[in-house]
Amino acid sequence: MDVARGVPSRVLVVWCPDWPVVVAGAGPEAPAVVVAANLVVACSAAARAAGVRRGQRLRDAQRHCPVLIAAPRDINAEARAFEPVVATVEEFCPRVEVVRPGMCAIGARGPARYFGGERALMQKITEAVTGRGITCRTGIADGMFAAQLAARTGGDGVVVPTGGARRFLAPHPTGLLEHQELANLLAQLGIHTLGDFAVLPAQDVLARFGDVGAIAHRLARGLEPRPLAPRPPSADLSAEMEFDPPALQAEPVVFAGKALADRLLGNLAERGLSCARVEVEVSFTGGRTYSRLWRHDGLLSSLAMAERVRWQLDGWRTAGGHSPQPGDGRRPVGGPPADDADNDGSRRGITVLRLIPDQIVPDEGTQLGLWGEALVSNRVARAATRVQSMLGHGAVTRPVLAGGRGPGDQVMLVPFGDSRTPRLPADRPWPGRIPAPSPSTVYPVPLPASVTCASGEPVTVNGRAGISAPPARLAIDGGPLREIIAWAGPWPVHEQWWDPAQARRLARFQLVTSDGDAWLAVVEGGRWMIEATYD
Amino acid sequence: MSVSTVSAHLRELTPEQQGEELLPVLPALSGLLPGGGLRRGSVVAVERPGLLCLMLAAGASAAGSWCAVVGMPQLGVLAAVDAGVDVSRLLLVPDPGSRWPQVAAALLEGCELVLLRPPARPSAQVARRLAAHARRGGGALVVVGGVAAFEGANLWLRAACPQWIGIGTGHGRLRGRRVQVVAGGRGSGARPRAQWWWLPGPDGAVAIAEQTGAEPAAVEPAGAGLAGAGLAGAGLAAAGLAAAEPIVPDLATADRVVRAEGTELVAIGQG
Repeated sequence: MDVARGVPSRVLVVWCPDWPVVVAGAGPEAPAVVVAANLVVACSAAARAAGVRRGQRLRDAQRHCPVLIAAPRDINAEARAFEPVVATVEEFCPRVEVVRPGMCAIGARGPARYFGGERALMQKITEAVTGRGITCRTGIADGMFAAQLAARTGGDGVVVPTGGARRFLAPHPTGLLEHQELANLLAQLGIHTLGDFAVLPAQDVLARFGDVGAIAHRLARGLEPRPLAPRPPSADLSAEMEFDPPALQAEPVVFAGKALADRLLGNLAERGLSCARVEVEVSFTGGRTYSRLWRHDGLLSSLAMAERVRWQLDGWRTAGGHSPQPGDGRRPVGGPPADDADNDGSRRGITVLRLIPDQIVPDEGTQLGLWGEALVSNRVARAATRVQSMLGHGAVTRPVLAGGRGPGDQVMLVPFGDSRTPRLPADRPWPGRIPAPSPSTVYPVPLPASVTCASGEPVTVNGRAGISAPPARLAIDGGPLREIIAWAGPWPVHEQWWDPAQARRLARFQLVTSDGDAWLAVVEGGRWMIEATYD
Repeated sequence: MSVSTVSAHLRELTPEQQGEELLPVLPALSGLLPGGGLRRGSVVAVERPGLLCLMLAAGASAAGSWCAVVGMPQLGVLAAVDAGVDVSRLLLVPDPGSRWPQVAAALLEGCELVLLRPPARPSAQVARRLAAHARRGGGALVVVGGVAAFEGANLWLRAACPQWIGIGTGHGRLRGRRVQVVAGGRGSGARPRAQWWWLPGPDGAVAIAEQTGAEPAAVEPAGAGLAGAGLAGAGLAAAGLAAAEPIVPDLATADRVVRAEGTELVAIGQG
């Protein structure tokens, strides 16, 4: 790479179109979309032909194509399913950079010489990936940005000649810069293509559009987005941890990964550097070492790195069948270990985890929001991580308020370190939601109960929300009879009646027993249950 | 109670409450706690899970502390939010399993308030170790489940004689609860004190229930026995005892309270 002038090296990009849709299990003929936060993030070819576009709201998409199949996004599944593709590409070049699930890249210069030219390399890779039953496209150009575009444009692959990236990019719209605000601004200024943008003087672009504009301008000119550090740093900035005895489970390795990532970022921060890629290298018992490069859009946080370690280990565990046999001796680095192919038959343990920073750039700092999300202090994060390392990632949760009517529906528990938005938003009207005050004890599994009237008959609720007799006694889970001294209800709820699988029809009661306790009871299908206690 | 009202209350806290020694608590609580706040490094035992222990956390949480809840899978998060706990600074470990002492100890290093419901009665050694962790971490440990369950608690709190208002037989709904909160402990907090509280009040906020005059119009007596106990409490106040004074019950009151509460309060009455 001609680092000094920022001219990027040759990059080959393998792109699997509509990857989220493929992972969701829809064929290209079926009109399917994958949605996140009610916006279409990917659509199948059939859906696209019907007028569905990325970024549309689901309802708009359904207007274009009423028979649309919508699936929620599962980014972990996407990463796992992409593992076989990465493994295939690794047979051509061991250092594969996963841009995101659905797209990976390799440096093309060396492999192209070995396999007889860039076009031949592209054809071989396409055939190998297609041989696994996965549709893919490839493209070669100078630098990642142009190569991604090359993979997207060509039918069976475009090779942009060396030095031709700028000319190749010129006719494309500025919207490709993936910075919507900037693209809108440029459009207002009458700059519609990357070519128009590239002819502007770099200093003026920096002065007018700031850092973001300068990076976009470099991309449009076919250069690396940020000037790389002039030489590789002399110090070893990587962080590693040995496991003795070897770790058999993924979880301890992931948590070690969090600590390692902290140390790695600390090393970099001391020198005023930052990295845009990180190589995760895992050594197994028996001396085998496997590694993978991960790119993060923007700069990596320690949690993001740990997440990638988890994806990597998850992917290797599930993709055992796709990996080459360890005995074939072709690749010392870069493939998943196959559990079933282990020679000694014992479970493979992880001995060393190493995180190596790649693409070191000077740290220009990031501006945190002046107002906004509460940041987790280091002290709290350390405590939570320690508990996670004892009990597992999902054992420490942070509650997120969600929408719903029942007391248990309105809260979603998100593992510490993950961020997730609730499926149902809380700030909507939820008619029929149980009124304040909220119960302070909500049973995860409602307790069976029996409610009887004064004569000992079970109390029933009919379809018109009428009760057979006033409730007089309550027995919870076979416990002693309690006398009911006050009650309110029934409050009928008929939820999701349009979906037979999810439909619920129930009636809620508040009951106060003579010992002063208050209960939230629900009767569904003739059965009484205690959902919550006010105590 | 919304976070803004809690913040408003916190602004009224006295300077010594905001000092290094004490974690802030809701204003209603300050009268019951020795020193008017939750002493850092102390262990508080609460008899039952419920709004009372959430309230203990609310003041500290609204003031910017992190809170952790261990071993309470049935915690009503919405009730916690209503009590004033900031949900963005809340960690839940619903099922710590058999390693709960280590989990609680680890969380005491990071969080300023840990609500712990031990799955089993802790041994004296475990209790001592957790108390030491709380002292070293500078946080407060609130142990839920039986006043006697945790040896070495500096303070204990319990809620007695609940009376719900707003609900009748087949009409209305639960609106508020008057409850007598009793506090006791060791050292400076040794004298048992009692206060009538709205927990929660009809407006959703926790407040000290006014004790003079008639019951609020909305109150419907929750039951003969309880109403008796409640009136006895009101009578106590009418007799001129300040809210935070130790209870000096006349025999009749003690008898009624005992009927509702079991034997433990007898000791308080005699002590």
